[in-house]
Amino acid sequence: MGLLALQRLMSLRRDRQRPRRQIRARNESIASVNTGKGSLCQYVDDDSRPGKIMTCTSPDLPEDVWRHIHSLMPLRDAARAACLSRAFLRSWRCRPNLTLSRDAILSEEYEPGVNVSHIIDRILRNHSGTGLKILKLQLYLITNHCLDSWLQVAVTPMIEELAVVPYSNFKKKYQFPCSVLSNGNGNSIRHLELGFCAFHPTAECGPLRNLTSLSLRFVHVTGDELECFLSNSLALERLDLSNCSKIICLKIPCVLQKFSCLGVIGCWRLRVIECKAPNLSSLRFDENVKLSLREPLKMKSINMIRSEAVCYARTDLPSIMPNLESLGLCSSNEVNTPMLPSNLLYLKHLTIMFASGDSFSPSYDYLSLVSFLDAAPSLETLILDVCEQRMEHESVFGGCLDLRQIPEHRHCCLRNVKMTGFNSAKSLVELTCYVVKNAVSLECLTLDTLHGLRCSGEEDSRRRMGCCPKSNSILREATRAVAAIRMYIEDKVPSTVKLTVLEPCTLCHKLPLCHNV
Amino acid sequence: MASAGSGDEKAAAAAMITLISSDNEKFEVTEATATLSQTIRHMIEDGCTDGGVPLPNVTSKILARVIEYCKKHATAAAGEEGSSSSFSDAAFLEVDRAFLEELEEFDDAFLEVDRATLFDLILAANYLDIKGLLNLTCQKVADSVKGKTPEQIREMYNIVNDLTPEEEAEIRRETQWAFE
Repeated sequence: MGLLALQRLMSLRRDRQRPRRQIRARNESIASVNTGKGSLCQYVDDDSRPGKIMTCTSPDLPEDVWRHIHSLMPLRDAARAACLSRAFLRSWRCRPNLTLSRDAILSEEYEPGVNVSHIIDRILRNHSGTGLKILKLQLYLITNHCLDSWLQVAVTPMIEELAVVPYSNFKKKYQFPCSVLSNGNGNSIRHLELGFCAFHPTAECGPLRNLTSLSLRFVHVTGDELECFLSNSLALERLDLSNCSKIICLKIPCVLQKFSCLGVIGCWRLRVIECKAPNLSSLRFDENVKLSLREPLKMKSINMIRSEAVCYARTDLPSIMPNLESLGLCSSNEVNTPMLPSNLLYLKHLTIMFASGDSFSPSYDYLSLVSFLDAAPSLETLILDVCEQRMEHESVFGGCLDLRQIPEHRHCCLRNVKMTGFNSAKSLVELTCYVVKNAVSLECLTLDTLHGLRCSGEEDSRRRMGCCPKSNSILREATRAVAAIRMYIEDKVPSTVKLTVLEPCTLCHKLPLCHNV
Repeated sequence: MASAGSGDEKAAAAAMITLISSDNEKFEVTEATATLSQTIRHMIEDGCTDGGVPLPNVTSKILARVIEYCKKHATAAAGEEGSSSSFSDAAFLEVDRAFLEELEEFDDAFLEVDRATLFDLILAANYLDIKGLLNLTCQKVADSVKGKTPEQIREMYNIVNDLTPEEEAEIRRETQWAFE
């Protein structure tokens, strides 16, 4: 029964011609590891050409699998492997993914004067032209003058992912030739990413029926051009715009039924985001952009960067987007978070980052964040990122020794709290004590006294990637923060909570010596 | 699902799948674990898993490892489905990161095998169409040639050079940049 089923399955699979990514094992090669049952030999590939096996070249794996392995090698390894055998040469010629950049092409100790443009040119011209699914051209410090012809050679109806980031010397923006996506060449494209260029889509570009994500960074495109392009990209799910300074009004048309995720950062002329797409659920934006959303009740996730973001989110969002589940706020120049009766009943994840800078007010009361905790009874994760270049808040080691107590309020869902850049600010210590006391289900509390990446703590790894270097004043404050934790917090943490305190690194952060990495 | 049982007992049984290795060993796995294999998923969809699924290409030794992988990653997949896709955009979630790290550690440990086993795992992943396992195991082979010369790679994997010296010299000229 089972065997019969398997055979049926195989024939079914042939009929369906699933265009899946499985690398189909071919009959002979399977037979070589087969333990005797011959039935699988009926498992023949759809294309009638006999399976080319590297039987004489590599004993165990079918050619398709080797081809897959070859495609997973970094570019330089893959190019060297091209001269292993005929099969590997074929595999190199139709490599499905090409990421071409200086980093990918040059070795770490390259000779100056290597013509990278020439190398890219040869790779693309010698590529069989079929089967290229992913092409990424990251042309930092590489001349653009052949780029049009490279795209013409490489972009075929097979292309699924295209990223083009030309070298920008700030004089004249490269204009992306939309015609390469015309005549059916854009039929399969799912991801398009452009950077540092001008993008003026016309009717000949598209419709890109399968485009699900579009990303534009430092791209010259107007709001009208973009709207027109979007209204032809009906499968679009995600749009990321950053630093596209020509857009003043961004309109997402209502025909984009699958559109769910929008990010707009650094587009400094932008005034309005008008989204008529009905299923937008995730939005990332900055500055004081005016939002006009067709279905604000469907919003699940917001990330925003703006001044007084915490206050804005606490005051305005509960009434506009009451169903939010995730909220990321990056704020400078914050005012104390007001206590309000409104709620975000479904909020599970809250991340707040206080950007460093002169504008961040030393009088901001971290304890006022309790207002957010009260408003979010379902909150599970709280991440607080405090980045103060100079700690100007009143320290817990300052004059007043008494920590403020505020009325108890049980937070039953909060399980995970992490604070980075933890310092000895009195109100921050008070907030932490409040959390420890009232978050009855707390599992993990992580207090990192510094910001940024850390080394693994081993002498060897430090040479390659050490901790972020820190100024002496920050390190001194970190030492105070550790003392504050030991004195005011540690003994209040119940045994059920895993407390992790990350102190300055003993290898990278030595006071008062200069700590070069 | 193949046969939606009416009673509790039947439903519970239906959620389990029996896999039979080439040496006739039987493995009971949950449907969630089994369906990481697209091959088995299609069989379940077609309702042909009664009486067990014979896998004549896979030995019990390898199948046990494959199941170990699937069990671990099925949990991961369930977690992904549970959370809305919009969260990928949300600020880094500690919980997710810890979970991913654990999964990575599992994968690293999983790959601590000799080459014959690795190749058998690749063949099994390919045949069962388990994309994650196939990529994981193939990546290990791809990483193993990092910085190696063609001669070294041929020796490592018994690859016979069927190019003529002229052909090979021509390709080497073309890919000279990768040797520098």
